[in-house]
Amino acid sequence: MTTDVTTTFTLNGREVTLHAEPRVTLLDALRDRLDSPGAKKGCDHGQCGACTVHVDGERVLSCLTLAAQMEGRAVTTIEGLSPAEGEVLHAVQQAFLAEDAFQCGYCTPGQIMSAVACIREGHAGSDAEIREWMSGNICRCGAYNAITAAVRRAAVTLQGEPA
Amino acid sequence: MTITTAPRKLGLASDSQLGGRPPRFEGAMKTRGAVPFAYDQPVAGLAHGVLVGATVAAGRVAAIDTAAAEAAPGVIAVHTRAGLPALKGAHDFLGNPPADPVFHALSDDITFFGQPIGLVVAETFEQATEAARLVRVTYEAGDLRPEMALAPPEARLPLAAMDRAVGEAEAVLADCEVQLDLEYRLPREYQMPIELNGLTAAWDGDRLTLWEPNQWLDGAARSYSEWFGIPFENVRVISPYIGGGFGSKGFAQGFGALVAQSARILGRPVRMVLTRAQIFQLIGGRTATWQRLQIGADRSGLLRAIVQDAESEAPMVGMWAEGTSGVTQIMYRYDAYAARQRAVRVNATCPGAKRAPGANPSAYGIECAIDELAHEIGMDPLQIRLLNYAERDPFSGNAWSTRELRAAFEQGAERFGWSGRSLAPRSMRDGRELIGWGVAAGAFPVLRAAGEARVELHADGTVAVSSSSTDMGQGAYTVVAQTAAELFGVGIDRVRVGLGDSVLPRAGVTGGSRMAMTMTGATWKAGQALIDELKSLAMTDPASPFAGRSNAVEVAEGRISLPGGEAAMEIGAFLTAIGRESLGVTRDTLAEAKQRPEDAWANWTTASRALPPAEGDFARYSWCAHFVEVRVDEDFGTVRVSRVVSAFDCGRLFSPLMAESQFKGGVIMGIGQALLEEGIVDPRIGRVMNDNLGDYLLPVNADIPEIEVISVGRPDYEASVLGGKGVGEVGIVGVAPAIANAVFHATGKRVRTLPITMDRLL
Repeated sequence: MTTDVTTTFTLNGREVTLHAEPRVTLLDALRDRLDSPGAKKGCDHGQCGACTVHVDGERVLSCLTLAAQMEGRAVTTIEGLSPAEGEVLHAVQQAFLAEDAFQCGYCTPGQIMSAVACIREGHAGSDAEIREWMSGNICRCGAYNAITAAVRRAAVTLQGEPA
Repeated sequence: MTITTAPRKLGLASDSQLGGRPPRFEGAMKTRGAVPFAYDQPVAGLAHGVLVGATVAAGRVAAIDTAAAEAAPGVIAVHTRAGLPALKGAHDFLGNPPADPVFHALSDDITFFGQPIGLVVAETFEQATEAARLVRVTYEAGDLRPEMALAPPEARLPLAAMDRAVGEAEAVLADCEVQLDLEYRLPREYQMPIELNGLTAAWDGDRLTLWEPNQWLDGAARSYSEWFGIPFENVRVISPYIGGGFGSKGFAQGFGALVAQSARILGRPVRMVLTRAQIFQLIGGRTATWQRLQIGADRSGLLRAIVQDAESEAPMVGMWAEGTSGVTQIMYRYDAYAARQRAVRVNATCPGAKRAPGANPSAYGIECAIDELAHEIGMDPLQIRLLNYAERDPFSGNAWSTRELRAAFEQGAERFGWSGRSLAPRSMRDGRELIGWGVAAGAFPVLRAAGEARVELHADGTVAVSSSSTDMGQGAYTVVAQTAAELFGVGIDRVRVGLGDSVLPRAGVTGGSRMAMTMTGATWKAGQALIDELKSLAMTDPASPFAGRSNAVEVAEGRISLPGGEAAMEIGAFLTAIGRESLGVTRDTLAEAKQRPEDAWANWTTASRALPPAEGDFARYSWCAHFVEVRVDEDFGTVRVSRVVSAFDCGRLFSPLMAESQFKGGVIMGIGQALLEEGIVDPRIGRVMNDNLGDYLLPVNADIPEIEVISVGRPDYEASVLGGKGVGEVGIVGVAPAIANAVFHATGKRVRTLPITMDRLL
């Protein structure tokens, strides 16, 4: 039942070792035990997307992922997307700022992690495609038009391809 | 003072002043996931709470067996009604004294499903979650009344305060050439911000600190101080960023009292965050409403009488009424109007405010009904609205402060291409898709309230503004920063803003679209007083370079100078010259006659002091007109919104970029209301069955087309000091009827119950 397991993985480029019960989700581990509260809990059921992080470069719902599964994997959260200090934002972060692609900002870390992956996956070829592939991330404030525009803008920056 | 947000450099000073379009002030931090939401705040020694909710909706807890839970690993405490001392009763949000001097954070009398009956506290969230499942409860069943439709006559209570009468409406109706008798139903809908409700509570002696996402810190601080019998000043509520509210985070709630009580008993901080399912069960959304509208008109389309009969769901304990007449009574000219409403007690949590409370269901009824009238007499739906345009408020008789609704109709129609619409239903199609165009208007009252702000100038050249007002995404930081930038003529990069901490200057609720009006006014007043003080110091301080040189100085572009700009120096350098680190002024906007402590108290900690829209000589509202295209799959009955143009009169827009985001957000929430959102009650157990985001559907990106928003407003100085009107609420008002009207135009079928799902359409 409650024997801790030890898991070693890379978090935002830094090796971390976690001692925790096997039932601890990646989301709760990040937030409560690894000082990385950027990923957000909105449903704990994989329905809202606020907890989206990257595992080995793929977008993953961290609330439906156990931390103990991360042995040897590379986890990237919003905190690891751009340097913590200074003015430099990732192209997707810059695009979200430029388009005002958020209001409250709570779903934003998940939206941005999804957007980075969406572009990398090649799913940002048209507005319709962006809307479809960004639909796992709910924005209750209703910034969808701007989110779509931000992904389109960032895709051009990152890939030089027409959106 | 706490200054929580400092922006990046953001371009030209002129872009950052009122009316400019600077990027969201805290936007860069939000893209980094670096703004501290309530549960992101590290708290040492934290214990984790999980709420235990009743699994019946009516009855009594007969017994609770907590032995297994208490024995589970990591469990610190299992709180139940029996083990908890009583707290003190607190005033309600309107300032009414408590009916009972004693308040229990838990009750064994169950009136709704999920009602808190216990709190498990453990070392970790996982341990608390497991232990909460081990609590065994037996109930004595009570009589269940699951929802409004199933309630008997005696459950229906007249609400005299909601009665409305202008003229003899029923007599006028009886005389009308055209009479329509229509019924409209809205289901329970929920706010569902993505940030969950909850809190962290920590005590230090008899001082309580709460990290709680809350739209009204002074109101919450008052509730906690009264519950625990400690001074108001001993409660600190910290909520610098709220992950969406939409009305769901307006008050301190019973679960908050429970968590604070647990923290006090255990002597360590406790965090408890509701699960999404618990939010559906505990946090009151917009309650279900039913309304019957009888409308009478001439064959020419002139509206003569409206008779409205309405019901809304209310809880078994306490009272809440969702208004249904607020827009009905003002939108169109009429000869006579009558309305009455009843509350129907059901076994559900106390409803609450969801975006545009009252105005939203009211507009749904009248904006569908006038569309039905247009169809009845064969008139264009936009034409009938212009024919019945209210040149003054038909309800109060007052002149409008400003009402650019005609411009909203005209410019919205122009952008949408409304003139290309065919009159007959089911007359436009694209292959298998039926196309429909609909229009509807919306309004929300301007609620004027006082605010307080502190403005400081610092020797490092920055301007700092602070208030306990809150930002839940509507753009408070940005609007306040723009006001400060304009006051001193500096770039927004020189401004710091601190919000969302109850130790800062006072503020009433951030709700009802009053924040920007209140905070621009308070910041402006404090800033003007600060400029006066700065000038006075410049002329009188012995160390001032301006002393004795002139009887006037000027403040512009961040500098202070002699008249004409001579001898100008940076304000920061001037402060250094006179040996000051900073200079600050705090001002409130309470009326002269409302400065007594009890008035100030009522203004900050109750909702009783906002002025109604038709107070005095004018009627003050924000207005909008929505034009919508839908595409309905003829075989499957699926409805897609394919185009939206919405025109708004919200007076002067202080921050057009923030306002446009709010407008679009309101439209999108309206699309959800029209097509997706419905709390479905299991009548056997009184539970909202679809209590999760996979079954209660919110709009996702793929549901939403490009939305065009237009501002047609002009400054309204009867509404607010700097000419703005409310922005956040009005966007949703009228969206659902515009979609319902478009669906009728597409299909010829009138669906009068929301949401318009395929089963209702086929």
